[in-house]
Amino acid sequence: MEKTLFQFIWKNSARYQVAILLVTLLSYPVSYILLDLPKKITNEAIQGSNFPVEIFGMQLGQIQYLAVLCILFLVLVVVSNCIKLYLNVYKGRLGERMLRQLRFELFQRVLRFRLPHFKKVSSGEIIPMITAEVEDVGGFVGEAFALPAYQGGMLVVQVGFIFMQDPLLGLAAISLYPVQGYIIPKLQQKVVRLSRQRVKNVRVIADKVGESISGITEIHNNDTSAWHSADLSDRLYRNFRIRFDIYNRKYFIKFVNNFMNQLTPFFFYFIGGYLVIKGELSIGALIAVIAAYKDLAGPWKELLAYYQMTADVSVKYQTVVENFDPPDLYEKDRLLDDEMKTFSGPLTMENLGLSGGGTGQEVHDVTLTVKPGEPLAVTGIDGSGRAELLQMAAGLISPTSGAISVNQTNLESMPEATLGRQIAYVGGHCHVWTGTIRDNLFYGLRHRPQEVLDYKGSNLKKRQRQLREAVMTKNPCFDLRSRWEDYALANATSMHDLENKALELCKIAGFSRDLYLLGVETVISLGTVTEPGCELMAKLVEARKALREKIQGDTKLQNLVEFWDPDTFNHSATLAQNIFFASPKEQFMTIEHLPTDPQIAKFLKATGFDETLTMIGLKIAGTMVELFSDVGADSDLLNRYSFISREDLPEFSRIVDGQKSSRRPQKINEADRVRLIALALKLIPAKHRLGILDDEMHRKIVEARAQFMETVGKDNDRFEFFDPDTYLTTLSIENNLIFGHARLDRRDARQKIRHVLQELVRERELIAPIRRAAFDYQVGVAGAKLSSHQRKTICLVRALLKNAHIYILDETASGMTDAEAELREGLKSLMKDKIFLFGASNEAIAREFNAMIHLENGRVIER
Amino acid sequence: MTIDAEVQALSRVPLFEGLEPSKLRLLAFISDRMEFQDGEHLCHQGDDGDSAFVVLSGEVAVFVDDNEVARVGQYAIIGEIAILCDVPRTATLRSVGTTHILAISKDDFLKLIAEFPRVSLEIMRVLALRLEKTTRELAQVRPANT
Repeated sequence: MEKTLFQFIWKNSARYQVAILLVTLLSYPVSYILLDLPKKITNEAIQGSNFPVEIFGMQLGQIQYLAVLCILFLVLVVVSNCIKLYLNVYKGRLGERMLRQLRFELFQRVLRFRLPHFKKVSSGEIIPMITAEVEDVGGFVGEAFALPAYQGGMLVVQVGFIFMQDPLLGLAAISLYPVQGYIIPKLQQKVVRLSRQRVKNVRVIADKVGESISGITEIHNNDTSAWHSADLSDRLYRNFRIRFDIYNRKYFIKFVNNFMNQLTPFFFYFIGGYLVIKGELSIGALIAVIAAYKDLAGPWKELLAYYQMTADVSVKYQTVVENFDPPDLYEKDRLLDDEMKTFSGPLTMENLGLSGGGTGQEVHDVTLTVKPGEPLAVTGIDGSGRAELLQMAAGLISPTSGAISVNQTNLESMPEATLGRQIAYVGGHCHVWTGTIRDNLFYGLRHRPQEVLDYKGSNLKKRQRQLREAVMTKNPCFDLRSRWEDYALANATSMHDLENKALELCKIAGFSRDLYLLGVETVISLGTVTEPGCELMAKLVEARKALREKIQGDTKLQNLVEFWDPDTFNHSATLAQNIFFASPKEQFMTIEHLPTDPQIAKFLKATGFDETLTMIGLKIAGTMVELFSDVGADSDLLNRYSFISREDLPEFSRIVDGQKSSRRPQKINEADRVRLIALALKLIPAKHRLGILDDEMHRKIVEARAQFMETVGKDNDRFEFFDPDTYLTTLSIENNLIFGHARLDRRDARQKIRHVLQELVRERELIAPIRRAAFDYQVGVAGAKLSSHQRKTICLVRALLKNAHIYILDETASGMTDAEAELREGLKSLMKDKIFLFGASNEAIAREFNAMIHLENGRVIER
Repeated sequence: MTIDAEVQALSRVPLFEGLEPSKLRLLAFISDRMEFQDGEHLCHQGDDGDSAFVVLSGEVAVFVDDNEVARVGQYAIIGEIAILCDVPRTATLRSVGTTHILAISKDDFLKLIAEFPRVSLEIMRVLALRLEKTTRELAQVRPANT
């Protein structure tokens, strides 16, 4: 990677820099004429007398001449501004392109780091480098060559002009430049050093914040928030100090520069004045020189600012780039090569050694051969070198001595296209990506795009532009929108087939039950609905009806559920659900948002429900205030039972008092009204039993449903109505099937219904489709919504699905339970013709395997 | 049935007779109203007791060792000792026909007491009166035995 900023800019944008330079030079005469023209207009056209004037063979009178000059002026104004606009856009675009290229290059280098390097760098440091720190480079690229060339040129012209008037004055004009040229870089050097410190300090701050977030449980667990606060505060103070120093120096440089610039006129007046008095210089020339010198100040200032910016951006560039240039970076080809070699033979390790890591991370002189179909267990406690040996076998870390080879080829020399597809490794720490279960299971098949999408019309144009930009910035041209799953690798022919394969493997991995449970919680989103999805929805709606019949027909189950019925009031649901009889499609929309939503507000006003709900809210607030006002603030009675939170209680208390105190109730202001309506909408009659709603009100609410549907339209994109005959894409599968609310006043109603539901789902053969639906379950940030066992299993299935030749499992499926033992048997039978290395710390488990080696202190001590 | 009816039912329970209406209302609000179908069990003999039941409507049969020993109706309170101390259920309760029950959970009741010391004073007074009555009855019975 280019060590300095200018190397980077020149190497990657020389052509564009020259273009910018040319256009800049082109603008020079235009702006020169533009400056000259007003003088001409006043002197020649307005005050002149030699008319008519001849231009291009035409005789022009005074007025005509004035008009011609003014129109010329106008044209030049337009031309000069157009050039400026063009240049600015051109520079900006170039800057952004270079920035994109730089950022991508940095990220690709992160991908090329060897694993041990990540022990030395943290994501908290790397992220600001790629995002914030290089940001300024973008703004600088466009100016890098054009600005010094342009302003420098101006300066030379002006100085030349002064020299032509009088060499002595010319010398006077530049007499201080050497001094400035000496002092300012000296001062700037210190600023550069400080900027470097500042960048590093900010990096540490980012890292500390990142570490605090990942270690947040430990902070709470140990009451160390004060320590972390002090730590960060200390860093912030250091940042302040550095910045303050920078400001001091930066403005001191400006001061010195300004001072010296204004010192020169002193010489002019003094020396020039002396020369004029002596009669060696005309007064006119002196005034012209002084005027020219004034014009010098502009370019000189610009050049200084440029110099400071260059120093600043260069430092940033260097402090970033030096972090991305470790000596042992993987070759680029290792990532980019797309040719997969198919492994077939045994895996051999010869005198394998690893050193240089921490203690307990060393391996000494391991020689062994693993043949396909002969699973080998590798045991050893943590710190015996087991994990490292297995990672070396997976091609993840490079041995410091010896070699690992398959088919007589050293793993080191193979690209990831082969390593990543022919070897599957599941280690102690596996990562689940944010996204759906599908994304995670099929992750191991997403090597390259598998199809070229056929773009048409404007989409084609957009795509072509995207590709052009990618080529220009040395980014890859892969299409993110196309299908990436390589069906062939998993021996599948279609997505459906692939899903079936995944379901089978999930069964072996003991993940089926989890899949079902996740499946019923899944919200089948509109985006992912494919043809089989629609079919599933239809089936689920049928099952919904069957479930309802079943529950209503069984005396024991009766009354467990209050179903969504367009014509009846649902006592177990909130008033919001009862009135609107719909659920919002926007996820952020909570009940608090409803009263202020324009559509809802309009509807409430039109139906008079705003008044009604305000009154209901007032009654609820009254009761809550009465019940809970003298309950202590730290009692959790309030938190558990009141549906007004502790923070809001005083607010509502104020509203209630306001209504009570005066004879005639005060007018409730808009903010309070919104509060009260939101409160009323949260009411669940069966739960809160406040007896506020009578039958008349129930009837009115039910009637309002049709009106609401009319107001927002049946097929709108904001609300989805509870229609017994349609599948709701805003509810989970379970809620779609139950299509109502479990009654709150029946003991264990939810569990009983779940039980019935599962029976029904089994009868209707919906279990498999529901498991399949679980593929669209959102796993949360890095799988946070899954248990660690589920995460591990997903990683295992991911590995199994990619159908590699070499399988290396470490601390996976190595539990003592029956289920895990069964899983190991299942794995062994799957690995009949594969190379299978199984790492475990427990020797009893390793004994289930025919062959095993035992490691201690990095050496094989038993075979 | 609304909270007001529940408050009325609670006010008829001897254990709570000294409580102010506002506290009864809070007690009713934090309790769960349950519906039991014919033959459904409220609790089983030997289980850990965690709540007291107030019958709001219907009838509950009481079984000890599978023998029906009693039937209780509206406003009866069953298992109230369970909300004051840890004792296993001494009987099985089964709903006869559809019943509505107000279940007062021990945790919440104790929180209420912790919150309002006056409530506990009232309860203590009721319990003391009962103890006094029991002691007196015992004293009357004892001479006859000896």
